[in-house]
Amino acid sequence: MSEGRWLEVCREGCALAKRAGANEAEVYAYDSDEVSVSIEKHDMQVARSSHESTFGVRAFVGDRVGFACTNAARDLSAACRDAVALAKACPGDPCNRLPEAVEAPKVPALSDPEYDRIGAGDVVRLAATMLDSAESIDRRILLGDGGVSASRATRAIATTRGIAGEETTTLFTHHVIATAREGERVSSMDFQFGAARQVRDIDVAPTVALACRNALESLGRSRGEAFRGLVILSPSAMLDLLIAPILFQTNARNALRGLTRWRSAVGKEVAASSVSLVDDGSAPGGIASSSFDREGVPHARLVVIERGRLAALFQNAYSSAALGAPNTAHAAGAAASPPMIGPTNLAWAPGDLTLEELIADTPQGLLVARFSGNVDPVSGDFSGVAKAAHLVRNGRRACAVGGTLIAGNAFDALRAVVDASSDQRQIFGFSLPYVRVDGVSVTPE
Amino acid sequence: MEQLLRHLVGRSPVWLEARYQERRTLVLAVRNGHVEQCSSSRTRGAGLRALVDGAFGFASTTALDETGLCSAAASARSLAAATSDAKRGRSVRLAASPPTLGTHPVDTVDPLDAHSLDEKIDLVLRLDEQVRRAAKSISASSVIYSEALEERMVATSEGTLVRIFDSKPSLRILAIAESAGEQAMGTQTVGVTGGWAEIALAKDFDRLVDEAARIAVEQLDAPHAAGGAAIVILDPELVGTLCHEAIGHTVEADLVLGGAITAGRIGTRVASDLVTMCDAGVPPHGRTVVGRLPVDDEGVPASRTVLIERGILRSYLHNRETAAQFGVAPTGNARAFLHSDEPIIRMTNTYIEPGETPFAELLAGVDAGYYLRGFAMSGEADSSAEFMFGVREALRVERGKIVGRVRGVTISGDAFEVLQSVDAVGDDFAWDQGAGFCGKGQPAKVDAGGPHLRCRITLGGRQR
Repeated sequence: MSEGRWLEVCREGCALAKRAGANEAEVYAYDSDEVSVSIEKHDMQVARSSHESTFGVRAFVGDRVGFACTNAARDLSAACRDAVALAKACPGDPCNRLPEAVEAPKVPALSDPEYDRIGAGDVVRLAATMLDSAESIDRRILLGDGGVSASRATRAIATTRGIAGEETTTLFTHHVIATAREGERVSSMDFQFGAARQVRDIDVAPTVALACRNALESLGRSRGEAFRGLVILSPSAMLDLLIAPILFQTNARNALRGLTRWRSAVGKEVAASSVSLVDDGSAPGGIASSSFDREGVPHARLVVIERGRLAALFQNAYSSAALGAPNTAHAAGAAASPPMIGPTNLAWAPGDLTLEELIADTPQGLLVARFSGNVDPVSGDFSGVAKAAHLVRNGRRACAVGGTLIAGNAFDALRAVVDASSDQRQIFGFSLPYVRVDGVSVTPE
Repeated sequence: MEQLLRHLVGRSPVWLEARYQERRTLVLAVRNGHVEQCSSSRTRGAGLRALVDGAFGFASTTALDETGLCSAAASARSLAAATSDAKRGRSVRLAASPPTLGTHPVDTVDPLDAHSLDEKIDLVLRLDEQVRRAAKSISASSVIYSEALEERMVATSEGTLVRIFDSKPSLRILAIAESAGEQAMGTQTVGVTGGWAEIALAKDFDRLVDEAARIAVEQLDAPHAAGGAAIVILDPELVGTLCHEAIGHTVEADLVLGGAITAGRIGTRVASDLVTMCDAGVPPHGRTVVGRLPVDDEGVPASRTVLIERGILRSYLHNRETAAQFGVAPTGNARAFLHSDEPIIRMTNTYIEPGETPFAELLAGVDAGYYLRGFAMSGEADSSAEFMFGVREALRVERGKIVGRVRGVTISGDAFEVLQSVDAVGDDFAWDQGAGFCGKGQPAKVDAGGPHLRCRITLGGRQR
């Protein structure tokens, strides 16, 4: 498709929706090419290619709204009629509205023309490199699952309020699930993921090495000890234990649903003073960057928590109207569903000490590589198994422990964050350090 | 389309599987009296899988004319060749499966399309209002109705040509109770394969509302559980969760070959001799189970696979590739969610067979422990059979009587150790996973269930 063609389709869709009876309409298109290969059972499994286009239509009839989607441009007219019919059948809501048009500056470094030179043979070779890396580290490692993918996507949006945008991005991802096996002993699975926007930034070896190291270290597990005190959470563990509840609480849609305790907490202390969080969907080359959000509004940097105080909630057009707050351009989601709310590139401010220095400063604690459990984002209660965990005694990793349960409350834990490491890890769009948290309940099985 | 597929696979120079899928969905979501989502989708596409020199290649397309399908088939062949060149292990072979022919309609006299959009919206709005009226402490409510209607065709170069129609409605109800700054959540769900009559008969909607509200309100005042090992009774929903999440995935043959804990353990004891566990695409007791699958996406007819027989591991779940590798017959567990997904090994309806102990006797046998009810839709399990699940309701049991409740409970451990500890299996049975999806790279609608059973398990709680 030539540049601007998808935007034209979206504009045509808006006109079709109006003809079907809509007062206002938004048409969002997502067209993607992908070539990928999967690893299973420590071998190449299958190479795939796909080309999919999806069109999502929001039709407004007065203050009522309906949504319909299709994966065929020839069915766009039918989707517009479906969206209008759904709008007419639903009760209205005065907050249903489209955002006003604002020019969206292009975020740089989101697309690599080298994509055209990537073929099935290249992704297969990268997958082979992953297998080779694992074998060179330790023969006890098995890559049970993994994959490499190269994709190029074009997003386009047009609304009857004058929003018009189109952007093409490239993304190269790889992931791996490693398990170590020695006789009857099987380690915890370890999942690691890597992503890049540019071909030159693809680097699968460190991802494989980390997964292998975590799997191997969890092989020789002994029983832990019970205490209530310090735990050091890896970026992966804190993503589940702390970031997920923060995202739930800072999603303005959840505030409107009556599910959050942070609805009226902007400006108030919600975490220890060492905690600062910033989201930036306009970061050049960012994995979760794009020039405009799911409603066509340009992304911008947003301070979410500043030195422990809640600074803002994530908003889209609906929630900003309902809460009387500025639209932060965090409309998110696929073309196949109506706009939701979500973060982009979210970074937790690093601290001054390295991970090893955090450990050296911990008289008794638990280092948790991964958390497998339940986190209730409403109450904040969490309980689950600390995977690939190490007991820390007198400032040293004393031993690997298995089956150790950790429990507590995420909101209490945020206030009990002692410090964060200077070293960070990128997980999808999240840039996270290790954090040391006090007051967590630790129970061996 | 049937003619096109037949023609495409009939003249393929290599083994070729062609799947066509047409899918329509409807989602109606209401929260606190506001319609939050009123959406529909229509998608169509085809997925082509070729086997060349011992390797698969897969291509999907939405270009459904002869040119588009032939082009996708050619892509699948060239991708297979690229994979074959880099393969370092065993070449893919397929276990024999006789060609399958036929059409499988939806088993209902009350199709979803016979009920208007207005009727469905009215239902969702009414139930949402009922949740908020159920108790003074209810501060938020949510009701989501969704339905998916599908037509699938599977054709292979070996002569299979099947057409399968599907219809799956589901309903989710959420209640949030609040008091003194504390919040607690109650949920109830129902999902079936069938039409409007089937989902209405599966569970009483008004009762689901009452239950969701009751759980939320009662959780508010409940203390937290102390952690540690305990004797518990698991309800059918939790038994289903254990079957599916903690055991079922470890017997999927692709994960077995990937190093799951069950590798090499066929014929060995993995559970108490009271435990018999199966997976069945068309189970003997469950016409409307949500994982109903008469023919899988490789064209293999459904079977009842006995995974554990009186405590002994008897079988894994297979597609045609792993069946050939293990030298057994395929079990009909190859499934693809969308046309753009290739078939992989998935469970269908996984369950433990009922035993002989009445519930009252199960309870009477607990001196100090818990009666655990419902999966809190959170948790994880891995191929080592270690698991952790959130529990929706935990009732404290002393000397055979329910004496109170605790909140925030999780259960965890090694699933096979839990099954080894089973000392009584109830004489009842229920399916109860209908509204959710299983995730394994791609979603799948599955069901799971069983009787109540008594076992020893580790509870996650709080260290004082």
